[in-house]
Amino acid sequence: MLQSVRYFSNARSQNHQSSVDPTEISHFNMLASSWWDPHGPSRLLHLMNPLRHEFIARCLSSQSDPATNSRLQYLDIGCGGGIFAESATRLPNTASVTAIDASPGVLAVAESHKRRDPLLMSPGRLRYLNTPIEKLPKPASEAEKYDIITMFEVIEHIKHPASFLSSAIPHLKPGGWVILSTIARTWTSWITTKVVAEDIARIVPRGTHDWNKYINEDELSTWFLQQGGWESPRSVGVIYVPAVGWREVPGSEKLGNYFFGIRKLPV
Amino acid sequence: MQYRATLWLRDSIRTIPKLQLRPTQRCRYATAIDSPELFDVVCVGGGPAGLSLVVGLRASKTTSNLKIALIESLDLDKGRMRNPSPDVYSNRCSSLTPASVRYLQEIGAWSHIDISRVQPYQEMQVWDGITGSRIAFDWEVNTRRDVQPSTIAYMIENQNLTTALQTYLEKLGDITVISPVRVDSIDLGNSTPELDLRSWPIISLSNGRRIGARLLIGADGANSPVRTFAGTTSRGWDYNRHGIVATLKLSGSGWGGEGYKIAYQRFLPTGPVAMLPLPGNMATLVWSTVPERAARLKSISKCDFLAMVNAAFRLSPVDLEYMHSVSSGQQEEFEWRVKHSAADSTKVPMEVVDVQDGSIASFPLKMRHADTYTGERVALVGDAAHTIHPLAGQGLNQGQGDVAALVSTIQAAVETGADIGSTLSLEAYNAKRYAENNAMLGVVDKLHKLYAVGSGPIVGLRSLGLKAVNEIRPLKKFFMKKAAGV
Ligand SMILES: Cc1cc2nc3c(=O)[nH]c(=O)nc-3n(C[C@H](O)[C@H](O)[C@H](O)COP(=O)(O)OP(=O)(O)OC[C@H]3O[C@@H](n4cnc5c(N)ncnc54)[C@H](O)[C@@H]3O)c2cc1C
Ligand SMILES: C[S@@+](CC[C@H](N)C(=O)[O-])C[C@H]1O[C@@H](n2cnc3c(N)ncnc32)[C@H](O)[C@@H]1O
Repeated sequence: MLQSVRYFSNARSQNHQSSVDPTEISHFNMLASSWWDPHGPSRLLHLMNPLRHEFIARCLSSQSDPATNSRLQYLDIGCGGGIFAESATRLPNTASVTAIDASPGVLAVAESHKRRDPLLMSPGRLRYLNTPIEKLPKPASEAEKYDIITMFEVIEHIKHPASFLSSAIPHLKPGGWVILSTIARTWTSWITTKVVAEDIARIVPRGTHDWNKYINEDELSTWFLQQGGWESPRSVGVIYVPAVGWREVPGSEKLGNYFFGIRKLPV
Repeated sequence: MQYRATLWLRDSIRTIPKLQLRPTQRCRYATAIDSPELFDVVCVGGGPAGLSLVVGLRASKTTSNLKIALIESLDLDKGRMRNPSPDVYSNRCSSLTPASVRYLQEIGAWSHIDISRVQPYQEMQVWDGITGSRIAFDWEVNTRRDVQPSTIAYMIENQNLTTALQTYLEKLGDITVISPVRVDSIDLGNSTPELDLRSWPIISLSNGRRIGARLLIGADGANSPVRTFAGTTSRGWDYNRHGIVATLKLSGSGWGGEGYKIAYQRFLPTGPVAMLPLPGNMATLVWSTVPERAARLKSISKCDFLAMVNAAFRLSPVDLEYMHSVSSGQQEEFEWRVKHSAADSTKVPMEVVDVQDGSIASFPLKMRHADTYTGERVALVGDAAHTIHPLAGQGLNQGQGDVAALVSTIQAAVETGADIGSTLSLEAYNAKRYAENNAMLGVVDKLHKLYAVGSGPIVGLRSLGLKAVNEIRPLKKFFMKKAAGV
């Protein structure tokens, strides 16, 4: 635990631009063409997507005061081919989605896949930007901020997660939520993601994960709460059961994949 | 299998030459100004499955925002039941299982049914035409006699169901019904700088209209053009049997009276003959037999036809064989032979005294199962996905089961913002229905084959018959469970 906090907080002193890991970006560039193949290497992300919406809905319904907006504005960081961004755009209570990714290859895939759906093409609904979060212009006014910032399966690919999160936070409205999913750094996650998923079952390509970059759920909430201005951290573990799909398993956030949500204090 | 499904759409451009437009027409529609109108759901086929599907989508809050079109080549409005007479019934009747009825209730359609024309039945007598061994299907849950007998299934005219669905659909509104208009061809769309419709089926209609589908649903029956477009193979065989249907009038309302109706089915070597109760003294016949006998049954006089139907439930296969072989005089033959038959008259349906004019018709019987029900932006339901021998009265019910599963699959996709036409969204539907339908198709097919041995030593036939009856016992459980939807 001590060691892991050190690991995480070390990153805070780092230069902002450096959260992008060039080997990561080129890895995802390589995967780009198969991003939307339902039986390709991104199948697990596709299957996980419905659970993301359920988790967000639960976070929103847990707050006692009304939501920041009746129709929500999303910022999806590390959007990849747009699995979550597209789906969030289609929801009736979504106003708009801005989705960014540092990899030009995957973003081109996202842009081209978007053209398959007239709904996504209607003006102002879904906007893709090829930029790392650090370079996204900071909001000039409250109106330019987002109700929900999402980062699904991204921080485990980031060299300096603390600086990455620090760049994201200014884009969030007071009362809004940061929602992410990632993998805990445990022996089980090492076995399931590195050994089973990458080497044995090959459900994700080799080199997708760097186990040393995994972050635990308690490290995340500690980091946010120490900053001040945050409330209601939530998390739930999810487990992939072959032939069944992803299932929420409370308590398993300590073992492997988990969702995490935390709310910026309202003004 | 799913992987193949994604590929077949791309292949389908080649595999549907007979559905494609003639080149002259093509040029006319290929202009950019004529870009197709886009829908979220295009359902081809307004039979029991298609109507129930669009109603299910309209009635659900989650899916009520979808833009839906229904295309039917027959005139849907003309096909509606209007001021029906209480002693005239359509010859196309189905037995709806409690599971199907429950679904129709859930979506709010059942209250639009003309209930005076629906006949629930509480018992089913099934026996082997050769050995006479019987098995009674009655509701197992009712082991205690004093409990109100519960319903095995509900006999209903298909038209009563489709009329109710149409009435309800009109009330729900906000749907584009395109009828009577035929689907002429289906192609994949084009890519323009604004939109990439290369995965979208574009449907060309007989009135010249072109519409695009985020999700194209084939509810277009056994010869499904949508299935052909998708390039999905449908496997199976023809039974070399025809199903004769007719609307009959009996000498009374049945041995159990109005409140306790009984369905009868006798397995003859040429196929099963079934008599299913309708309200009052009416009943509907489904008689599967070889094509020559079916043709003869349709050509003989009314009196001779009545005699044949009565004989089918009472006389031995040997007697029946003789009566099928003569071109007339079946009535006299029956009157003479029935005196010598051992049949207990209360264990067979009441005597048939009349057949409704023009109600005798026949359909070739076959078994088919599509390799998959889903592909990118395509799903099949009902007879488009599977055709079953009518001996267990399951065809329409399987379609309702498909519809319930597909509607809930689409709901789940909408709730999580998925593209309802994507293979990933649709694969749950295939998973929910394929194995279940396949099991039903297999059981019914085997049941037919066990009995459909027309020649061979009598002893062999008898032992086969006995064996079949033994095998019916677990089947009884199987069917009763399916009927209840558990
Ligand atoms: C003798 C017999 C007895 C039966 N008894 C029972 C029973 O007791 N219980 C039971 O559950 N089932 C029974 N069935 C089966 C039942 O009738 C069918 O399973 C059911 O009707 C199928 O419904 P569907 O909507 O899938 O297809 P269909 O009813 O075949 O509807 C398909 C529709 O698509 C339309 N269509 C086709 N091509 C096009 C095109 N190119 N463009 C536009 N429209 C098109 C057709 O006009 C048609 O209206 C029986 C069948 C037979 C033959
Ligand atoms: C595993 S993918 C997840 C994609 C998407 N969120 C999903 O779950 O479908 C991780 C993505 O994060 C992107 N990424 C990595 N570092 C980033 C950074 N600093 N800023 C923006 N995107 C980044 C990668 O290019 C890659 O597309």
